[in-house]
Amino acid sequence: MIIVTGASRGLGNAICNFLIKKNIEVYGIARNVEHLDFPASACDITKPEEIKAIAKKLKSEGKKITGLINTAGVAAMNLAILTPSEVAKKIVETNLLGTIYCSQIFAPLMIRNKDGFIVNFSTIAVALGLKGESIYVASKAGIEAFTRVFAREVGDFNINVNCIAPGPIETDLIQGISDKIINNIMNQQLIRKKYTTETVCDLIDLFMDPKSKSITGEVINIGGV
Amino acid sequence: MEKVEIIAEIKELVTELIDDSTIVVTEDSALVGSNGIIDSLNLVELCVRLEDRASEVGFEFEWTSELAMSKSRGVFRSISNLGNEFYNQMIDKK
Repeated sequence: MIIVTGASRGLGNAICNFLIKKNIEVYGIARNVEHLDFPASACDITKPEEIKAIAKKLKSEGKKITGLINTAGVAAMNLAILTPSEVAKKIVETNLLGTIYCSQIFAPLMIRNKDGFIVNFSTIAVALGLKGESIYVASKAGIEAFTRVFAREVGDFNINVNCIAPGPIETDLIQGISDKIINNIMNQQLIRKKYTTETVCDLIDLFMDPKSKSITGEVINIGGV
Repeated sequence: MEKVEIIAEIKELVTELIDDSTIVVTEDSALVGSNGIIDSLNLVELCVRLEDRASEVGFEFEWTSELAMSKSRGVFRSISNLGNEFYNQMIDKK
């Protein structure tokens, strides 16, 4: 079974559907799961006790967890000096701490099997240092650093930890962002192309493949930087 | 389950995990720090095994508490400290 956070929409939902199509058992986590037609639990990933309750449930049901995909996150495009402190806190709590909490709570379920993979999500904006995204980028840069070090900490248990850093991808997350801004980001990629959720799913497929077992602690910038 | 039994079980677990007959494992053996007899890999393995043992006896062992991380009172300072923490959590949570 693979656990996917942020499963209710956007990238997370696309990944769940991709995995289900491949006949892989999926367990979704999101704040609102009422509309989902696959096993899922409502959970606020900024609250470790809620994540622990899910880990406990899956463990008691004897589920074998083979992977964790941390897609849950919030986007914010604003100059740091114009961002209210509460918003800054929410961005860091959801993106960075949410990823850390899920990793530290679900990893022991894979440590028991001495096998598994974790995929975290950053953004190409980290490598590009995009203006107007400093707090969001800071939270995602934290995820990249966490990925590198956590990969070392769980490497002996045959658990690979990698990070995907997409550019603009057609999901709810970039709704309201002008074409001009999106094109500007795309033009800074090595391959100047707007990618889709399918590209991200292809990378998930790669990280699930035993042939990629030598890849860990890496950040894959989609389109290249 | 009595405290002495828990400490004995942890001693046995640590002995099995370090798999080195030249190391004498006692209740006072440190698990972390410069005198620690166990590496980080086996420390995680030990925690996972204790979590499973706690499930068997009906409670949830929490090793990421602030107490566990505290330098002065850290539960990993010795096997007996870890045993005491396991026992205290068992009594509190059952």
